[in-house]
Amino acid sequence: MIIIIRNKKTFILSVLSIFLLLCTWLIYSDFYKKIFTGKDETITIGIFSDSYWEVQNGYSYRILEDAIAIFEEQHPGVKVEYVSGILKDDYSEWLSEQFLLGNAPDIFFVLSEDFNDFAEIGVCKDLTSFVTQDEEFHKEEFYSSAYEYGKYRGAQYALPYECAPKLMFVNKTILDKEGLNMPDDKWTWDEFYEICRKVTKDTDGNGTIDQFGVVGYTWKEAFESNGILLFDEKGTECYFADDNVETALLFMEKIGKLNSGYTINSRDFDLGNVVFQPMSFSRYRAYKPYPLSVKKYSGFEWECMPMPAGPNGDNISTLDTLLLAMNGNTDREEYAWEFMKLLTCNTQIQSEIFDYSEGVSVLKAVTESDQTLQSLIESSGDTGSLNLPILSEAVENAVVAPRFRNYDHAISEVDKAVNDILAGSSNFSMEQIIWNRNINKYLSNSR
Amino acid sequence: MVVRNGESIMDENRFSDYVLVIMKNLNLVIILYIAAVMSYSLMGYVQENTALEFLTKIHRTTIEAWKIPVMATCLFCSCLLLMQIRNASGYVLILKVGMEISLSYMISYLLGFSYTGIVLLILADTMKYFPKSKSKISFAVVVCMFYLVIDYDFLSSRFNIISFDTYLVYFRSDMRAALLGVKNIFNSMNTFLFLVYMILLVWIQRSEKERILCLNEQLNKTNEELQQANVQLEEYAKEAEKMVETRERNRLAREIHDTLGHALTGIITGIEACTALMDVAPEATKEQLKAIAEVARQGITDVRRSVKALRPDALEKYNLEKALLQTIEEMRTATNAKIDYQCTTDLNCFNADEEDVIYRIVQECITNSIRHGKAKHIQIGIEREYNLMKICIRDNGIGCKDVKRGFGLHHMEERLNMLHGSLKYDGSDGFMVEAQIPIRWGKGEKIND
Repeated sequence: MIIIIRNKKTFILSVLSIFLLLCTWLIYSDFYKKIFTGKDETITIGIFSDSYWEVQNGYSYRILEDAIAIFEEQHPGVKVEYVSGILKDDYSEWLSEQFLLGNAPDIFFVLSEDFNDFAEIGVCKDLTSFVTQDEEFHKEEFYSSAYEYGKYRGAQYALPYECAPKLMFVNKTILDKEGLNMPDDKWTWDEFYEICRKVTKDTDGNGTIDQFGVVGYTWKEAFESNGILLFDEKGTECYFADDNVETALLFMEKIGKLNSGYTINSRDFDLGNVVFQPMSFSRYRAYKPYPLSVKKYSGFEWECMPMPAGPNGDNISTLDTLLLAMNGNTDREEYAWEFMKLLTCNTQIQSEIFDYSEGVSVLKAVTESDQTLQSLIESSGDTGSLNLPILSEAVENAVVAPRFRNYDHAISEVDKAVNDILAGSSNFSMEQIIWNRNINKYLSNSR
Repeated sequence: MVVRNGESIMDENRFSDYVLVIMKNLNLVIILYIAAVMSYSLMGYVQENTALEFLTKIHRTTIEAWKIPVMATCLFCSCLLLMQIRNASGYVLILKVGMEISLSYMISYLLGFSYTGIVLLILADTMKYFPKSKSKISFAVVVCMFYLVIDYDFLSSRFNIISFDTYLVYFRSDMRAALLGVKNIFNSMNTFLFLVYMILLVWIQRSEKERILCLNEQLNKTNEELQQANVQLEEYAKEAEKMVETRERNRLAREIHDTLGHALTGIITGIEACTALMDVAPEATKEQLKAIAEVARQGITDVRRSVKALRPDALEKYNLEKALLQTIEEMRTATNAKIDYQCTTDLNCFNADEEDVIYRIVQECITNSIRHGKAKHIQIGIEREYNLMKICIRDNGIGCKDVKRGFGLHHMEERLNMLHGSLKYDGSDGFMVEAQIPIRWGKGEKIND
């Protein structure tokens, strides 16, 4: 090098130039922060203040605080911090702003609707290497559906924190009044239709129908319980022309005809005029306790049970999962991963979900434990209504749709197709083929 | 042809340097401008709570707003510093240009490939200091290819790049048009400056070529004149030589006239007188003949003196062997060189002219060995082989691969030729001279036998 750089001027210029390049790299890699702040042993967490299940319970940071206490005890000198007071509605925007400003937390909760976007943008770290290399981590402990929820294009970008399956809420008062039995847990579309047909009537004799079978049962629930997979893994192809789709569509048409043109909404269920409504399990947890149930679902007895199974499907539905992801740019990976494990795999922390939240723990051992049953019974004040194995099964078997870029847009395309087909009167299978072609065209264009 | 003088080329050079400086400043302004617009837009998205919308639109993460201008400036300054290195060549040059191009790529990357004019700046800067060779053209082609490749429209089809337009979406439509317009004007200005610079460069190169051509012509002319002068000079030298010869001849003639002529005249006159007197007075004739003999003796003495006047000093005093030893001893003490002398034959049988030649050859060779060969060791050998006298002088000096016959060698040869001898020399390993002189039949031969 000494031979190459012959004179002093060249040498000085090269050194200065390389120095500037080094400065740029320091800025780019955020390494300068370490130089200025020294050794910083603080990890930050992004969390929202209210419950993910849209129920105010006053315990918003309780579980996190407990986890932090355990973590700081296990790792002396390491601090865990979070910004409090961010509402769930503002949370996604707040997180995005932190990403743009470069202040994003090391770990952050991800709302299920944001997961696709965040994974696609690249702000989440690919956890596959942690998952496979950490010997303390066993993915079998999780409900596979919840665990699959954190996958995007085959890579694990997030771990599940808590979840809630979709269940069918049943107004038992109407069933009793009409002399009908509660269907069993393995019920089918036929039983479902039969009950709906029997209860849809004009009870006060004023000429308008005022008691209905179901509200809020959309094509999504029908497709899920009839074993339909709409898209392939990468979002390149749509299977809308499938025979099962036609069966589901025909069932939807049949159910829709029962209402003979009346539009019903969820308020009708609240008022006690509808027998069935699909709802998240978290809502059961929120409104089952005595004082609250008085406020919302007054005047009738209600219960929840799995979704009815279609001819080619099972009693399953989707799972709503709150995820936990790691910042792709964090420089405290090890601590962040340890804390993520604490929040998601620690049985003590996970069992607190049943105490301070409305979701279900993502760990099988916790959800199926006696302690959990006890606390559920305590909070609902009802002994026989809840069958934990059924809940566990509903979570385990839940459908996890493949996720890809523009998944939401693709779903709205399918929504358009279903509405169009149901509104029209022509041959279903023909229409399905035409729409399938349209959606496929959309998918290939959006890539 | 009008000859352009050096000063006007200097002016143009300075002008092209100004253009380059303006170009550098303009590039800095453009980079700062684009970086500022991008930063402002990013901050705006955060301030207006539309960050999520922006992120989902661009489908990737961005660099923090303040980092863009800071990093771009750092990288550009680094590039400018590299451009100041002007004496690079070979691998250093390739390294330097490679670094500059990577820096320009990094800057373009920071700016979402919305500005790539830095490549033109690098091309302009390098073309001026690049050594003139065929690789200059291939270098230019490579840089141009790179310029085409890092264009946004080309790259965006393959990679997810956030365009300048995406950042502009943040602004109102009229503002957007104005900002884009300014950027385009800057871009055009940069391209225009690049063109001006390149035209200037070509212009300078052409005038330089013209100037060199003109100078070359002048040089040729002068060369011709010089050659003529040289020929004349040679003729003069020949004439001068002839004149010296004539003078010498005249001197000899005079000498002969003064000595031999005088003596012979006296002898002729005396003999004539004797012829007349012989019968009348034999005694007087005898006296006369004695006088004549005296005159002849005197004449011969005079001739000897004349010849001696042309002989070397040492030979004047001593015989050949002693003279040689004397000279060698003198040289030994004067130069500290080791001189070996070996003589296997008697040297007292030579005529004066032969002695002269032998003495001169030895003397000349020692002088040559010491003066030209810087020799430390000289071997002199004199031997007789039948009727040939061999003189061999060898030294351990630097020698001379391609021997050019100078005055010394020339003279030796000439002298030897007069005695029908020959000369050989070899300068490949030290210097070696071998002279051969045929020995005349006469006194020496008899003595040796």
